[in-house]
Amino acid sequence: MTCFEGQLASWVAPAPERIVDKTQTIARLVAEYSTALYRVAFSVTRNAAEAEDAVQETFLRVLRHESRLGEIRDYRVWLVRIVWNIVLDKKRRAKTRPEGEDIADHARALPSSDRPADDSAISSQERNRILALIDRLPAREREALLLSAVEELTTAEIAEALGTTESSIRSRIFRARKELAVLLEKEGIPR
Amino acid sequence: MTADRMNNTMDSGMDSGIDPRTKAAIDAALRSVGSATPAAGLEGRILTLLASERIRLEAAPPLSPLARFGRLHRVPARTFGLITACLLGFVIVAGSVVHSRRIRPGVVAPPVLVLPGNGIGAASAVHPAAPASAPVPAGQGSRGRSARRSGPGRARIAPHSRKAPGVAVPAPSTNPSPNSPN
Repeated sequence: MTCFEGQLASWVAPAPERIVDKTQTIARLVAEYSTALYRVAFSVTRNAAEAEDAVQETFLRVLRHESRLGEIRDYRVWLVRIVWNIVLDKKRRAKTRPEGEDIADHARALPSSDRPADDSAISSQERNRILALIDRLPAREREALLLSAVEELTTAEIAEALGTTESSIRSRIFRARKELAVLLEKEGIPR
Repeated sequence: MTADRMNNTMDSGMDSGIDPRTKAAIDAALRSVGSATPAAGLEGRILTLLASERIRLEAAPPLSPLARFGRLHRVPARTFGLITACLLGFVIVAGSVVHSRRIRPGVVAPPVLVLPGNGIGAASAVHPAAPASAPVPAGQGSRGRSARRSGPGRARIAPHSRKAPGVAVPAPSTNPSPNSPN
């Protein structure tokens, strides 16, 4: 076998140790980022099953493009971008926001012990109303606001995932919050 | 919004114009979405799915050389199809042109109009390539109907003309009519 043939064979059929290496990398990515990706997906779908589907689809895409794993600079941003595109695509196809938020979704979204006590002050009805108002915001502002809600993401990572600058993200979040507050005050916050 | 980000927004005065109660409600709603916890065993389910997908991919038949080339160079099938269609179209057009030149090699180009002078009055210029115009006699068919009459007088019906049954045919008269100029 010539040198060229050997190189061609390595391109076409990766060596077994390389496959193992990539499998380990993907397993590490699953362990490290699956919860963050779930939260990103859930912020758009508001449905536990759909969010989980989106996360699974994300890792399937990673598996199909595992040859690119070596080129990725920031796995978190890369994965967030994939899951973000998947959920937006699903939302576009579905056209309507799923209304059927089940009790299990609420249970999973319950505040953990390290959160301030005022979180539990808002009722489920109020929460749903605010989320419905968020859906009425312009797309750019809404996307920045929803991603800013995900605990694991920094503003820089949100900016990179959405392909813009940090200052742009900050101004979008600012506009979104202000507009949301106006909408809330106009409609009145239920107590 | 995370605790750090909330502190940042408060420090920078981003939410200065928002009612504290409204702000707290917005933050609580966003926090409930952004800190949702997946059902237990999500990682295990994903790893199982990935393992079965890997087995499926490895069991798939090997790619053809063309598909392998496309995958290696990231050329999608549509691009392949487009390039092939363009090449095919070019071959068809080129072959057609070559063929048509082969069967009519002596086809001359149309005469070129050479305008006299500087081009002023070009519309009325004489076409040098065209022969000098001469009056063309009109054919028999181009004349008026009355001009085609062989002679003066009434029209005659030929004796052997065929008529449909029941149509009266006047007998040919031997004496000329008194109104006739003859």
